[in-house]
Amino acid sequence: MTARIATRGYRPYSGERTGVAGAMTSVGRLTMQRCLGIHRPLRTKVFPVVVIALAYLPTLVYVGVTVLGNRLDRQGLPGRTTAMTLVPNYAQNYGQIVLAVVVFSAFVAPEVLCPDQRTGMLGLYLASPLNRTTYLVSKAVAVAAMVSVVTLGPPLVLLIGYSMQGYGPQGFGEWMLTLARIVLAAMVISTLLTALSLAMSSLTSRRAAASAGFLAIVVGGSSLCGLLITQGGMTNRLNLLNLVTLPYELVYRIFDEPSPLTINAEAPVPTALLVAAFFAWLVLGYAVVSWRYRRLALVR
Amino acid sequence: MAVVVRAEGLTKRFGNRVVLANAEFEIGEGVWGLLGDNGAGKTTLMGLMLGLLTPDEGKLETFGSSPRRNGPAIRARIGYSPEHQLFPGDLPAIDFVRHMCELHGIPRNHSATRASDALWWVDLGEERFRALGTLSVGQCQRVKLAAAMAFDPALLLLDEPTDGLDPSQRDAMLALISRVGGVSGMTIVMASHLLDEVERTCDRVLILDGGVVRELGPMHDSLRAPEALEVTIDGDADSFAAWIERRGVVVTRSEPSGRRLSIAVPSSSSSASSPANSHRDLLALIQESATVNAVGIRTLTPVRTGLAERMASRS
Repeated sequence: MTARIATRGYRPYSGERTGVAGAMTSVGRLTMQRCLGIHRPLRTKVFPVVVIALAYLPTLVYVGVTVLGNRLDRQGLPGRTTAMTLVPNYAQNYGQIVLAVVVFSAFVAPEVLCPDQRTGMLGLYLASPLNRTTYLVSKAVAVAAMVSVVTLGPPLVLLIGYSMQGYGPQGFGEWMLTLARIVLAAMVISTLLTALSLAMSSLTSRRAAASAGFLAIVVGGSSLCGLLITQGGMTNRLNLLNLVTLPYELVYRIFDEPSPLTINAEAPVPTALLVAAFFAWLVLGYAVVSWRYRRLALVR
Repeated sequence: MAVVVRAEGLTKRFGNRVVLANAEFEIGEGVWGLLGDNGAGKTTLMGLMLGLLTPDEGKLETFGSSPRRNGPAIRARIGYSPEHQLFPGDLPAIDFVRHMCELHGIPRNHSATRASDALWWVDLGEERFRALGTLSVGQCQRVKLAAAMAFDPALLLLDEPTDGLDPSQRDAMLALISRVGGVSGMTIVMASHLLDEVERTCDRVLILDGGVVRELGPMHDSLRAPEALEVTIDGDADSFAAWIERRGVVVTRSEPSGRRLSIAVPSSSSSASSPANSHRDLLALIQESATVNAVGIRTLTPVRTGLAERMASRS
């Protein structure tokens, strides 16, 4: 029997290289891991886990109500009828998780962009096959995916729960239509909040400042718009500037449900105008990010 | 020798400040020192090689094409270790190096092994799972080197790799860079403002002074030679010094007792021979004076001034 000494000498690499796509995938993966606190200290996992749990909690409660309703029905009590009055439809479900969604968005993008500016990681990323555009696309996709955890996940759980308990859409076609609406609604909210939070995060290297700025614009702006409409008697088209109402109003339109804004409104804001405002905000958000990153000096 | 980086009339300005002025050079294979004082344009030149900056005039090619036009493909073959030490403090060293491998195209299933090997290679194998924020400056410098070389780049750019290191860590880092250059076959460009570091590590040099290329090519004898020799004499220092002075060499007393003398190496312009020859001639002269005057030589130390003084004396 002979022993062999293995050395860790330098080994050249002659295998395949994954190119820009591989680099983008790696950035996206690491970004999502860091947002969720994976491979990081315990304290960094607490916030995302709590907010995600808060986003899913109402949905799980409503699914529980449908389960309980069916059980009571089997015992001869009017459980199902009661449950039907208690549980929300898919559009209403978004209204109940709005706080968790906004708070999570305020946390994710600053966590994703600010440390790269503050540390030297941005310079290292751009010294790799990535350029400013591919770097930002990787980051935006990662942020959108993370925000989708709280915008897409809860309604999907609701759909599955309702379907299993017989509260869901009737028939395959209806079910697929509801699924498509859920995905579209989640995309609307995710892309808008991603664009806005990325824009705010691109302006500063401080996470807290970016989060505070985002909350000030979204929540503060929403409150101001609400006050001006209800107390100041201004037109309800001011809701086009309300970054909470705008995406949620679009969600109601996607599900073809009457929204709190349209039920009593004499002249509801046309859907085309809502869509135009949505895209305008989207373009503005990404334009700010793009402008800011074009101006960032990496080497001096 | 294949040309890795070529510059023609390369000029870069930041506002009114000219950082590189009409630079012309070719960097071939080997271990190169990019030498210059702070603000001489070393980091800017690296930024241009990577395509992170655009030349204002002239052109620069890395691997035969423009980094601005073909940046991603070029950067995939370049390992870059920046000067700064700021990285995510809670990221384990191995995750950082693995991520750098993946960024430069190494598939995920190979990246972990290569990252681990690179960290062992820079003597951080035992520390590879430690967070970057808990590592010392010296260890961080080695992590940066591991991250820059783990994906087997064709060109390794090291910006002040010994910045913040104590003398023993510096020696170890320079030895490591020499080792990388020796076994990997990578072209290495090491930016430094310390002549001594470049001298010990590199076989070729590109000297930048105020944005102008002062010297290019093999480490020149003129850069290796000291400007003076400091000698401590045991015996009659005056007669020893006078004997040398009579041969036209400047001798100054370094201390009041007069036993320590600083003997200037004649400049190449004042003698027909090269500075290195002048240095050797002076050694012979000192030996002869010691024999003639029957004095002992306790110490003999070459004295090198900084690059700035050297540049000033040469221009």
